[in-house]
Amino acid sequence: MAKTILFVEDSASVRQVMKTALTREGYDVILAVDGRDALTKLDGTKIHLIISDVNMPNMDGITFVKEAKKLPTYKFTPIIMLTTETQASKMAEGKAAGVKAWIVKPFQPAQLMAAVAQLVMA
Amino acid sequence: MSPDIPEEYLQTFVIECRELLEQMEDALLIIERDPENPEIINAIFRAAHTIKGTAGLFGIDYMVEFTHVAESVLDRVRSREVMISSALSALFIEVHDHLGTLVNHVDEGTLPTEEVDARSKRLIAQLKQYLDAPVTHEAEHSSDMPIVVKPKMNLVQGDVVKTDYWHISLRFGLEVFRNGMDPFSFVRYLSSIGQVVQLVTIIDAIPPADEMDPESCYLGFEISFDTDADKLTIENIFNFVRDDCSIYILAPHSKVSEYERLIQELPEQEMRLGEILVKCGSLTPTELERILRLQAEQDDDSSQPIGEVLLEQQMVSPPVIEAALEKQKHVKETKKAEANLIRVDADKLDELINLVGELIIAGAGINLLAKREKLASLLQSTATLSRLVEEVRDSALALRMVQIGGTFNRFQRVVRDVSKELGKDVDLVISGAETELDKTVVEKIGDPLTHLVRNSMDHGIESAELRIARGKPVKGTLQLSAYHDAGNIVIEVSDDGGGLNKEKILNKAIERGLIAEGTNPTDKEIYNLIFEAGFSTADAVSNLSGRGVGMDVVRRNIQALRGTVDLDSVEGEGSTVRIRLPLTLAIIDGFMVGVGNATYVMPLDIVVECIELKAWASDEGDGQYINLRGEVLPYRRLRDHFGIKSETVQRENVVVVRYGEHKAGLVVDKLMGEFQTVIKSPGKLFESGKGIGGFTILGSGEVALILDIPGLMGLVEHEKIDVRKPVST
Amino acid sequence: MANKTQRACIAVKGELTIYTVTELKDKFLGGLLMNDELELDLSEVSEIDGAGLQLLVMAKQGAMALEKTLFMISHSPVVAELIDLSGLSGFFGDPLLMAHQSKLEGESS
Repeated sequence: MAKTILFVEDSASVRQVMKTALTREGYDVILAVDGRDALTKLDGTKIHLIISDVNMPNMDGITFVKEAKKLPTYKFTPIIMLTTETQASKMAEGKAAGVKAWIVKPFQPAQLMAAVAQLVMA
Repeated sequence: MSPDIPEEYLQTFVIECRELLEQMEDALLIIERDPENPEIINAIFRAAHTIKGTAGLFGIDYMVEFTHVAESVLDRVRSREVMISSALSALFIEVHDHLGTLVNHVDEGTLPTEEVDARSKRLIAQLKQYLDAPVTHEAEHSSDMPIVVKPKMNLVQGDVVKTDYWHISLRFGLEVFRNGMDPFSFVRYLSSIGQVVQLVTIIDAIPPADEMDPESCYLGFEISFDTDADKLTIENIFNFVRDDCSIYILAPHSKVSEYERLIQELPEQEMRLGEILVKCGSLTPTELERILRLQAEQDDDSSQPIGEVLLEQQMVSPPVIEAALEKQKHVKETKKAEANLIRVDADKLDELINLVGELIIAGAGINLLAKREKLASLLQSTATLSRLVEEVRDSALALRMVQIGGTFNRFQRVVRDVSKELGKDVDLVISGAETELDKTVVEKIGDPLTHLVRNSMDHGIESAELRIARGKPVKGTLQLSAYHDAGNIVIEVSDDGGGLNKEKILNKAIERGLIAEGTNPTDKEIYNLIFEAGFSTADAVSNLSGRGVGMDVVRRNIQALRGTVDLDSVEGEGSTVRIRLPLTLAIIDGFMVGVGNATYVMPLDIVVECIELKAWASDEGDGQYINLRGEVLPYRRLRDHFGIKSETVQRENVVVVRYGEHKAGLVVDKLMGEFQTVIKSPGKLFESGKGIGGFTILGSGEVALILDIPGLMGLVEHEKIDVRKPVST
Repeated sequence: MANKTQRACIAVKGELTIYTVTELKDKFLGGLLMNDELELDLSEVSEIDGAGLQLLVMAKQGAMALEKTLFMISHSPVVAELIDLSGLSGFFGDPLLMAHQSKLEGESS
């Protein structure tokens, strides 16, 4: 049974590369371009992992996570945040919102794949 | 550039960067007039942030390095530690322009020139003035693959435990489940960097049912783990749970005292833990006894030493441990074999195979020379040489073999999606995933397989109601399997659906003139009619209990791979489509024929039979058809086709070949038998349309042309259309 | 009713995960309290995680504490895989569960 990952990222090329990489590992990938778009994807579909960028237009990653955690279907969904190491304050805020895992940008696909596999094996 | 990332994505990256730079420029122009606007500042920051993040993904380090500094300054602007001045905004315009230059380098695939590099350095220096502390990059690289450090062996043998494995002890925090983590995910991940030799799940902390909160995590693990990775790598796996878990990682051959401390620090009772550690194979009973005795002494407790209790109760018997160790050793050996892999560009393999082909030709040349000069010793050497060359060829071809499992696994998704689409519940069962075949074949088999799988699910497997009515399990089963059979790979797509309806197929085939009325085809022949081109119209399918759409296309695709496809079906029980493919496209099982002085090779599997022209088949007179046991067979003399001018032989032979639904005869001078050979591409040597698919070198050093049978058949067919009609009327 | 063995079967369908354990815990405990023997049919468990496995352990321990009998039957592949990974098959397969074991063997042969 393939595990489903919601990947939220405003950069089209990062989305493209990571979708390819995750699909190759056997995950089903749902893409969203920002937090607002991502919320519309949380429609009851089973999602095993959310990977979200922090800094995005329309709705940032932290706000999105806070909203997602309010939904009963997604309150226990693990979340990986993509961030830059300069955002210590954001990390504290994210932690409070229930984010447990951080990947520091820039990252290599392999790094993210390892983190993903640690949380949900394909 | 990361090796994982397809080139075309770089183009998206370049376009994206340019868009972001445009946005950045717009924002920079506004910021001069409105330096406090947080939205505008954020827009500039986000552009830099995205460029840096994406550049990192693509491994464009010079861009990451430069943008990193710019982004750091922008972050300080955002947090109002640094105010935008006209000097700073001017600097950022320069930064923006410079990023544009860097993007151009990415676009052109060139590295920055020295001049550009110098400019990067100058701008970085200027930017750094706005940063208090020097920027450290080190932190972000800490998670890169560390160098493998062999655990230090303690020289004092008596002080260390015997085990060759790591011991990992984990007690998860209450919040782990609620944070979306699953302890077992980490265990599964461990298996990807090593071998979980033994795992004991600790359930002692689960409170009595009425007090237990099912959303809290009370679990723990004791794991004996075999890996070449170092401690940091293992530790990093548990990064996500580090905050609220207790984690102990003991290296192989750790000191006994370290285990002693572990036992003391863990919450479970000493006895219970000791038992678990022995079960894990991390401690031998003797080692445990020593530890426990030590502890008993330290505790100054005069009661019976716990170690003795352990032995008295016979909780662990040495033979059990011996057996476990034996098993572990075996597992370890398998693992070592798996790690011994390298990735190679497929093009390099093609090149190698080409070179080997050249080598065969060169070898044949020498052999010929030796024969002509009658040099016995040289002949002996060349015999050895050609045997070795053949072995090299086989090894080279074997390098291109990949397992079909990857292709099969993609169908999990297809089956799931189609199940949803059709509202049918279907299980996919995969077998023979480790079966190997040529990479080129693997790449091309995906489409036909998808078609077959969809067809099986759509037309094969019945609706849930019908299945219940037929007394079948509600859930349908679709099986993909692969196995090797006589130099071929066989791929099967089977379903436990309704099977094909013979009557309907037969009627449809007669109606469409695919088969003559009154003929008595076998079941198999009937089922295989669905691969006929005329069969695959939409209305032919909808009222069939089987399938049909595009099956002719499937067959054509398979035949293009020099494969065959057929179908077995039992009405009411299901169908199996069997695809038979050559293991590789670079080698051909050929059938060799001679015309004049020339030698031709055709794929053996398309040869139906060989007959003498005069004896068995009578010429209908027009030189176009022969009567083959009542069947009208178009034929062609290869001599005429290739314009060979040499004396005709007395007894000509007809090779009857079949390609798809077409049969034709090829008239040749002599039949020279079967042989296996490497196909070489015809390149520009031959014009297309002549019916030549490639060439190969014979042992004699002569060149033999490989016939492109589909092409040749097209030519034969073209001259006179539709050969079936006269038969069916 | 006093002498007759009261039996019940609970079929777990769909997820046996952090999302469903709270609800299932009440179901399991209720089933154990009301009956002498409880059978958990796990054939239709589509997904199980650590929390789900932990709940099965709790049910088993709860049954022992209440001196009731708990059978787990027809483990779906995901359940069987996780129990195997956890090394807890011995724990679930103690003599109390002989019936379940022989049933499994019967199925596989």
